[in-house]
Amino acid sequence: MKFWSQLPLRVRLSLLYVALLTLSVGVVGGYAYWNLWRSLLYSTTSRLRAQAKPVIEHWLYTKDYVIPGLKSSALPESLQLEKIATPLARDLTSRNTAALILDKTEKVLAVGKHLPEEPIPPPPNPAYTRLALAGQNEINYKMTWNGDPTLVVLIPLRSSPGSKTILGVAQLSTSLAPINRILLWNGLMLLGVMLLTLLIGGGIGLWVTSSNLRGLREVAQTCKQIASGDFTRRVTLPDSRDEVHTLAQAFNLMVERIEAIFESQRRFVANTAHELRTPLTALRGSLEVLLRGAQDDPSAVARLSRGMVQEVDRLIHLCEQLLGLTKLESTQHVQKKPLNLSDFFEDFLPQARILAQNRSLSLQSGPFVSVKVDEDMLKQILLNLLQNAIQHTKEGGTILLGWHLIPDFVEIWVQDDGEGIPPQELPYIFEPFFQGKSPVSRRKQGAGLGLPLVKAMVEAHGGQIWVESQSGQGSRFAFHLPL
Amino acid sequence: MERTNLMSNSRASDEAHLLIIEDEPTITEFLQTGLAYEGYDVSVATDGETGLNLCRQKTFDLIILDIMLPGLDGFDVCRKLRETGVSIPIIMLTAKRDISDHVKGLDLGADDYVTKPFHFAELLARIRAQLRRSGHKMAKTRLTAGDIVVDLETREVTKAGRPIALTPTEFSLLELFVRHPRRVFTRETLLNRVLGYHYVGETNVIDVHVSHLRDKIGDKPARLIRTHYGVGYAFYPEEEA
Repeated sequence: MKFWSQLPLRVRLSLLYVALLTLSVGVVGGYAYWNLWRSLLYSTTSRLRAQAKPVIEHWLYTKDYVIPGLKSSALPESLQLEKIATPLARDLTSRNTAALILDKTEKVLAVGKHLPEEPIPPPPNPAYTRLALAGQNEINYKMTWNGDPTLVVLIPLRSSPGSKTILGVAQLSTSLAPINRILLWNGLMLLGVMLLTLLIGGGIGLWVTSSNLRGLREVAQTCKQIASGDFTRRVTLPDSRDEVHTLAQAFNLMVERIEAIFESQRRFVANTAHELRTPLTALRGSLEVLLRGAQDDPSAVARLSRGMVQEVDRLIHLCEQLLGLTKLESTQHVQKKPLNLSDFFEDFLPQARILAQNRSLSLQSGPFVSVKVDEDMLKQILLNLLQNAIQHTKEGGTILLGWHLIPDFVEIWVQDDGEGIPPQELPYIFEPFFQGKSPVSRRKQGAGLGLPLVKAMVEAHGGQIWVESQSGQGSRFAFHLPL
Repeated sequence: MERTNLMSNSRASDEAHLLIIEDEPTITEFLQTGLAYEGYDVSVATDGETGLNLCRQKTFDLIILDIMLPGLDGFDVCRKLRETGVSIPIIMLTAKRDISDHVKGLDLGADDYVTKPFHFAELLARIRAQLRRSGHKMAKTRLTAGDIVVDLETREVTKAGRPIALTPTEFSLLELFVRHPRRVFTRETLLNRVLGYHYVGETNVIDVHVSHLRDKIGDKPARLIRTHYGVGYAFYPEEEA
C-alpha cells in the first residue's frame, strides 16, 4: 500500500485503467475460450453419436441380414448380440473412431480395430459402463489413452428402439488431440489479442491521464517557483474547462492575493524604516554635534537635549502605534463589556475639553443606550479623532461630539469646522503612513498611523468608519458600532 | 522663517554662508548648532518657498536641501534654483535609499547627496569638498598662523620655513587649533574630534599629545598653545601672543 501511494497519480490511474481492461478482456477471452472448447466437445460427441446411430439401427433392428442358422428375434439376447457384435464393431470403427462392444455382464464382445491405422479403443471404465447398462443414453467422458486425451461415448444397445431391455453397450472413442490443437491456436490468438489490447489500451490510458494531469503538474511547478519567492509567477490557464482549469484559476487568484499582501507588508516595513530614519538622523546628529564641542556650551546642550527628547518620544509613539496595529491584526485583544454611552461621555468630556484648549467643544447626546465595547479602545478612538480635529482647527474653532441610534448600530461622530481634507487625499487618509500635503499634517510629529489605528480598532468591534469633508469647511469623522 | 545663527559669536566675514532648507525642527537644530561650531554662518528655511525667497535676497555659498518638504519638495526647489541661474553647490538630504532618487537629484542639478541617517562628520567633509571645488576661501588647503604653515593636502607643517614631522593625531590637533584661533577646547572635545567618538579612556591622553605637539613646534614655555586650567586648551597665533 505504501508503494502504491508513492507512485505518481498518472501512473496509478493508468495502472488502474490497465487492471480494469485486463479484467474485462480476461473475462471475455476466458468465456470465449471456454465456449469454444465446449462447442467443439459437443460437436465431436454429436458426430460420434450421429455416425453410430444408423449403424446400430441397421444391425439391431432392420435384421435384413442373414446369419447362418439364426433367426435373431428367436435367439436369447446375449447370444444374438454376440453374433452381431463383430460386424457392428467393425462398422462403427473409422479412421478416427474406435469402437468396442460390451455385453450386459461388461464382457468385451468385439473390438473394432482391424486395420493398422485405426485407433485402438481404450479399455472400458466399469463405473460408466454400468450407468449406460442401467439405461442412461448420454454418457460421455474424457480420459487419457496412449498419452492422448480421448473422448469416450457410451451408447446402450436396446433390444428394440425405446425398449427397456438393454443387450449391451457400444463404446465409441475418439482422440481429442485435433480439438486441443484448435483450442491451443485459438487460445494463443486470444492471448495475443488480449496483450495487444492491453498494450494499446494502457498506452492510451497513460497518454490520456498524463495529458489531463499536465495542468496539475504545471500548477505544482509554479507552486515551487512561488515557494522560492517569485510571486510574479502565474499558471497558464489550460484551454479546457475542467477541474484543472478551475484549480489553476483559483490558484492564480490566491497568488495574486498573497502577492498583494506581501507587497503591502513590504511597503509597511519600508515605511516604518523611513519613519525611523528622521528621528534617528536627528538623534545621531545632535549627539555628534555635542561630542564635537557643543557640550561645552550649556545653552546648546539644553537645546539639543530638548530636541533629542522630542525625537525619542516620537520613536516611542511610533513604537506604540505599530504595536497597537499589529496587536489588532493578530488576535482578539478586544475586551468587550456593556458600556453606557451617556456615562462614558460624561467622564470623557472634561478630558476632551482640556485637550481642546481654546476651541469650543460640545456634546450632542443621543438616547440612553448601552453598547458592548472595549472601553479603553473607545476612549483611544475618540482621543485620536479629537486630536486630529484639534490639529486641523484654528483656535476659536468649534468641535462637536455626539451619538445617535440607527437600526442595529450606534453612530458616534467627531465634527470640526477646520481646514478640511482636500478631495484627492480623502481615499487615502486611513492608509498607514499616509500624510497629507497640508502644512499642519506635515508639522505634527505623527507618522501617519493615527487614523489607521482608529480604523483597525473600529473594525475590531465589527464596526465601520468613514469621513465626510470638504476643503475649508471642516471634516466629520463618524463610525458605527454594533448594538 | 529666517533664523540667522545665534551660535556663532560674530566672526570675520570670510565665513561661508550656508542655507539649510529642512522642515524637521530637530534636524535643523543640530545642523545649525553643529555647523556654527565649525565656523559657518547658517540660515534656515523650513519650506521650499521660503528657501527660494532667501536665495533671492542673499547670496549663499552652499545649500543643504532636504527632499521631503511641505509644498515645494527638494526636487522642485533644486530645479527652480538652477532655472534661475543659481550655480552654488547644493547638497541634498534624502531619507530614501532608492538610487533613482539620487540620480534624479543629481540630474536636476544637485552636486551631492547624503542619505539619512548620516554622519555629521561626513556631511562636514562633503561641505568642505563642495566649497573647495567652488573655490571658496574658507576651504583653503593651506592654513597659516604666524610663522606656522599647515598644508592640508600634503599634510606638511613648517615653522619659519623649517619642516616639522608630526604624527596624525598631532597634525589633527594642530589643524584644529589653527582653524579656530583663540577658541578654548575642552579635553573631551579634543578627544572626540581628534581620536574619534568611540575612544574609551582617560581624557588626559590629550595632555600627552599636546605636550608632544608643543615640543615639536618649539612652544616651550607655552605661548602658542596655552593651558586654561580646569577647562582645556586654546591656540593663540604668534602676532597676538
